[in-house]
Amino acid sequence: MTDSTISVDDLHVDFSSGDGVVHAVRGISFSIAPEEVLGIVGESGSGKSVTALAAMGLLPKNAKVTGSIRYQGQELLGLKEKQLSGIRGKSIAMVFQDPLTSLNPVYTVGWQIAEAVRAHQDVSKDTARQEAIRLLKLVGIPDADNRVDNYPHEFSGGMRQRVVIAVAMANDPTVILADEPTTALDVTVQAQVLSTLKTALDETKASLLLITHDLGVIAGLADRVLVMYAGRPVEVGSVEQIFYAPSMPYTHGLLGSLPRVDSDGTEKLRQIPGSPPVMVGDRVGCPFAPRCPMRATICEEQEPELRPVTFRQPTGQDSANGMVGEEVQPVPYDIPGGVHLSACHFADEVAAMPTASMFPDSSADHETVLP
Amino acid sequence: MTPPDPQTAPTAVRPAPDGDGSPLLSVTDLVKHYPKRGGSFIKHDVGTIHAVCGVSFDLDEGETLGLVGESGCGKTTTGRSVLQLVSPTSGSVRFQGRELIGLEKRELRRTRRDLQIVFQDPFGSLDPRMPVGESVAEPLHIHGQWGKQGRQRVGEALSLVGLEPRFATRFPNEFSGGQRQRIGIARALVLNPKLLVLDEPVSALDVSIQAGVVNLLEELQQQLGIAYLFIAHDLSVVRHISSRVAVMYLGRIVEIGTRAEVYDRPEHPYTQALLSAVPVPDPIKERSRTHIVLEGDVPSPEHPPSGCRFRTRCWKAQDVCAEQVPELVDRGGGHPVACHFPELTKVV
Repeated sequence: MTDSTISVDDLHVDFSSGDGVVHAVRGISFSIAPEEVLGIVGESGSGKSVTALAAMGLLPKNAKVTGSIRYQGQELLGLKEKQLSGIRGKSIAMVFQDPLTSLNPVYTVGWQIAEAVRAHQDVSKDTARQEAIRLLKLVGIPDADNRVDNYPHEFSGGMRQRVVIAVAMANDPTVILADEPTTALDVTVQAQVLSTLKTALDETKASLLLITHDLGVIAGLADRVLVMYAGRPVEVGSVEQIFYAPSMPYTHGLLGSLPRVDSDGTEKLRQIPGSPPVMVGDRVGCPFAPRCPMRATICEEQEPELRPVTFRQPTGQDSANGMVGEEVQPVPYDIPGGVHLSACHFADEVAAMPTASMFPDSSADHETVLP
Repeated sequence: MTPPDPQTAPTAVRPAPDGDGSPLLSVTDLVKHYPKRGGSFIKHDVGTIHAVCGVSFDLDEGETLGLVGESGCGKTTTGRSVLQLVSPTSGSVRFQGRELIGLEKRELRRTRRDLQIVFQDPFGSLDPRMPVGESVAEPLHIHGQWGKQGRQRVGEALSLVGLEPRFATRFPNEFSGGQRQRIGIARALVLNPKLLVLDEPVSALDVSIQAGVVNLLEELQQQLGIAYLFIAHDLSVVRHISSRVAVMYLGRIVEIGTRAEVYDRPEHPYTQALLSAVPVPDPIKERSRTHIVLEGDVPSPEHPPSGCRFRTRCWKAQDVCAEQVPELVDRGGGHPVACHFPELTKVV
């Protein structure tokens, strides 16, 4: 028996394409504790969605997946479709970005929820229908007794996503995977869906793997956060560690580039220079190095591994201040949340820096143009 | 109805800084209804979509008015009506004191030199088979300003947006989304316009790229003194870039004021719900905030509710809200708000 629901170990996903092999995920490991919310953040193409699809065995055939994905100790990779479907949708439920494609347009929503119930539980049609109505009420669909017989097109986008959450809750899952669940939605609708998602977590006591590019959503919901860049996690820690002591320059940059609704707008936004890396072919060194203001020779030669952040004063600053030999004032590092990992050669120095200060607040175009 | 009290009269007319008393752009009672087509065999009009219903605002030279609201609130239609890309059903759009609605085509084209637009989709708004320099040059050709200086003007426009002039011969597919958006901005700037309508200019971009474009727009405004009508659904970006902000719901402006008035002292329940729903990237703050979760959905613009259009989802709604349309006037809070029961509540 393990104390985690899902654990992923050294997962790699490659796709073969016309231009060569695309390394979409290059070694990701994490585990989710019961009732924990793990957030995965990253920009387009960082490999966050592919990770979720791999965990569900939903990748297309041209994907080469290696590593290990375990559910309560049972290996899922290489499992036959039939065995997998016994777990998928029952113990592990999914919520995708686009509710229109995850619901079948030719069946009523009640039928679809009832089908999810009957696929994994031996109950009568009528019981399943009653369960569908109960779930619709739970996710806040008004007039659920009548709406149960409506088709997906008769619902708004936010209501459809709540129906999808109802389907996900149908079999009392242990884990819910949500891939950009609120991305296409308006902000007040997003608030409705997030509150529904919280209801679902309270009701099922499930853990949640929340994949999003929205750091605000992560801040509100996640217990732990994994930041992805170029197919690898570059920083892992508690939500407080990631937001209050980011230790990877990329995380710094992301936080500094966000305009905030709670700031008066007088501060200039920080821009991460350059473009995200192309994932084709092999590379040497840290994938973020070309965009990083702290890059040194070592960054171009050696890709840093994830290692614990210890948070100390930058040595360069010590000597500059003539503090060599004197007692260095330790910076308090009392942010709770267990181990804080960063894949940066200078993680300890970065952790000591004020957020975003290392990036330029310029308007210049730093993106690369193909030669 | 009783005549409006002078103390609380609409504050739509504001003195412009240039001294001639008129703002750069003045939109009054703008209405746009779209016919709804239907029928099983023969298509005919079966209803009316009330997209924009009586929108009024002013925009001064060199300032940014943010127009925010959710999908279907009419913000894009408003922006396009300003440019006469859609012809409004009624109302008035005055640019530099001149009425644009009903203007003859040639005259309109002349005015459009000063009125340009940047679209949301950096992939759809550039011709993939045209070198980007040609795209930027097109407005010059159209307005007969190519001449001897044309090529140089294109180079200058590209430099302004942070791209090297030598990229002019490249094609759109060689550029990233952020760079394409910069090219779209260069094309809009090449005629030295006085007003740019920016329709969701950064919402298709990743955050780390978005920051550079937002900074660019701010710098261009300082440098060139252009006014922006900044249309967006992202309340954080709008707060960052706008000097004044108008919040729209179902075709109407519900609250308008300076950035600080709307964000720090919102009085309309919808503004409050909208602002409270935006997640803040700060775990402690985000978890201690109150989130107003609205019930239900936005009603159809085909059959908007009587009176206040927000009343069907408003926790303050009374009988009067169904009977009387609340005027957009200053109700004592210092800025216009269209609510019968305004109340200052700080939500961010």
